[in-house]
Amino acid sequence: MPSQPPLPHLLVPYLSDQTDSSLTLISSILGATSNWLVLRFLHAALSSSSSPHMPIGVEDQYDGKKRKVVLVSFMRGWEFWKSEAKRLGLDLTRLSSKQQFTFVDGLSELFSLPQNTKTRLPAQHAGAPARTALPLRSQSAVPDRMPPQATPADQTSSRGSTEPIAKKLHFSGHGITALNALGRDIQTVIEKQKISQDDEILLIIDQPDLLLASTGPSQAIGATEMMNWLTGLQLDVHSTVLTLAADSPLLHNASASSNQMANPTEAEHAAFSIGLAHRARSVMQLRTLETGAARDVSGVLRISRGGGWTVGDDNLDERELLFYIQRDGGVRVFGRGES
Amino acid sequence: MSFRKRNVGLSAGADRSAASAVQPAPPGVIPGIRPSPDDGRPTTSTGTPSLDNLLAGHAGLPMGKSLLIEENGTTDFAGALLRYYAAEGVVQDQKVHVVAVPEQWGRSLPGLIGTAESLEEKRSDKRKDERMKIAWRYERLGEFGAGVAGARGGERLIIAVASAPAATGEQDPNAKQPPAFCHAFDLTKRLAHPSITNMTFIPFTPTKDSPFPPVLSRLQTAIASSAPNTIHRIVIPSLLNPTLYPAESCHPEYVLQFLHSLKALLSAYPTRVTAMITFPLCLFPRSSGVVRWIELLSDGVIELCPFPHSADALTTSGAATSQEESPQGMLKTHRLPVLHERGGGSDQNVGQDWAFILSRRRFEIKPFSLPPAEGDTEAQDTSAQGGMPKKSDLEF
Repeated sequence: MPSQPPLPHLLVPYLSDQTDSSLTLISSILGATSNWLVLRFLHAALSSSSSPHMPIGVEDQYDGKKRKVVLVSFMRGWEFWKSEAKRLGLDLTRLSSKQQFTFVDGLSELFSLPQNTKTRLPAQHAGAPARTALPLRSQSAVPDRMPPQATPADQTSSRGSTEPIAKKLHFSGHGITALNALGRDIQTVIEKQKISQDDEILLIIDQPDLLLASTGPSQAIGATEMMNWLTGLQLDVHSTVLTLAADSPLLHNASASSNQMANPTEAEHAAFSIGLAHRARSVMQLRTLETGAARDVSGVLRISRGGGWTVGDDNLDERELLFYIQRDGGVRVFGRGES
Repeated sequence: MSFRKRNVGLSAGADRSAASAVQPAPPGVIPGIRPSPDDGRPTTSTGTPSLDNLLAGHAGLPMGKSLLIEENGTTDFAGALLRYYAAEGVVQDQKVHVVAVPEQWGRSLPGLIGTAESLEEKRSDKRKDERMKIAWRYERLGEFGAGVAGARGGERLIIAVASAPAATGEQDPNAKQPPAFCHAFDLTKRLAHPSITNMTFIPFTPTKDSPFPPVLSRLQTAIASSAPNTIHRIVIPSLLNPTLYPAESCHPEYVLQFLHSLKALLSAYPTRVTAMITFPLCLFPRSSGVVRWIELLSDGVIELCPFPHSADALTTSGAATSQEESPQGMLKTHRLPVLHERGGGSDQNVGQDWAFILSRRRFEIKPFSLPPAEGDTEAQDTSAQGGMPKKSDLEF
């Protein structure tokens, strides 16, 4: 299969055209995750203007302004985003040293601090021995292609230099004060990133709903508190992209039509995501095919206007598209019936 | 000229033995770890060859990933998978950490009967003898045991890689056989292996607060203080089962925080730790939001739906031939490691109907297929008596 452009052309208008103080909501389910779409947002915001796949008109709008991204991820670590972005041709390490990109790690130490400071040391060395398994395979399959010593040494040295610059979030304490402390941590990162007033910062928060589910009403954190928390973050940035889980148990158990009683987790999650959908300019829904799995379709992407869409914003057409993720990470996006 | 040169290079015995002399002891090769044929990331075996093959072309569980096995009903098929996983870890000299269960659990691990390949060879020999008896149209069905993904077509890579070590071993008797990736176990025997004492059991200590942080900190210190090339397996049997877990653990925020921290632990050591969790669905149904969060926090989610006992009639007909064992349940893949992290859905194995068979020596996962009206023998008999049209009548 031919390799795909990093940005599928059907998605370009949705990915690269964020209006001021807009909120874009991406909803995902268990079998259709949103990481690939977040990566496309990263690419749209960060790739250099010389990219041949970008239409010229899009670049003109951002004339003179620098676009920057702050990515807060509660579900994936730095290694994942770095390696997946590399597949798209984005070097996040380089971009973060150029102050264009910052990663905020909401996974590693959110609920548990490492026992001692030594913990990180073996973690980094651990990569080296296991990775030597890689050249071994190519050795047995294609002998004498390269000197066996070269590759491991290469990898360890490159690993050593890529020290993650990420800020690690930690949920310390209890309830709403702890939540606000997290918010302040993220705000500090945003402020640091904002060097001049012209900088346009895109804030991407990957699954803030995890924070809601894993703290919950017992700590007096509910949908309202989370919404206020997010509003506080949105004030500092140009536009925001959020990803949420939208599996049916999380949304539909809380609705009045369901027969069973919703537990607090479900009720708060439903209130949170529906509330956000009302505030969002656009909602991008990812789900699997209703008719079962297909060999050449990974899932359905539905783009619709959210409650925050204003009349006159004609750049946003509602569409339903199919997407297919190839083994190499490339994405094909097409309409129903097309291929 | 060029042809000749290449030929020399290929058949040169001296060249090969030199290469193989280097091969047996490359620095840092860890037994039980092999690169994924899909993208080269290190993987380890789950102890069940057909489950390895199910995992999205990686032919094993990628390191740093967790697998959640859910089970409906009161059977313990998931427990068998978990025991294979733990036993494989013991045999590969990996460090196995078992959460919540007492040490008796470790004594009930299935006994080692050899490598998975050796068992496979025996089976295929047997099948060759029987080949003439099996009708040609059913013959292919039995072959799925050899490699679930491989037989699907387009996945030949897996077979090629899996057989590559064996092939080189045959060509060059001097070469040391590479360590086996997966072993076969017998559920009726007990595992007796010198490193079985290396298993650690982490019980819950009674607390008023969340019972999980002490468990996590023990896991963290164990992993952090071990040698950098030690591989760890975290085994969590029957998560939240009230006979094993204190009542406080069922608070959604406690268990979700625990699983989130476990995910953090796995991503902090992306090449050294794997985890497998089993989860009883009859206590916590999938329609609940908390269970969905547990699934979302796992890298792979597999659901086992054993056939109810009354469905024996159905299950016998589910066997492809009379020689095949009948399936004992259905297996659903909801999420596969790495594949779904990227967006998912493009694997051949996704969306397939799988059935599983647990016998004494193996847990086999294969495509579920109903043979054409095998159970309907009565109807066939009566219609034959009533003047079934002869074959010659049907030919065009």
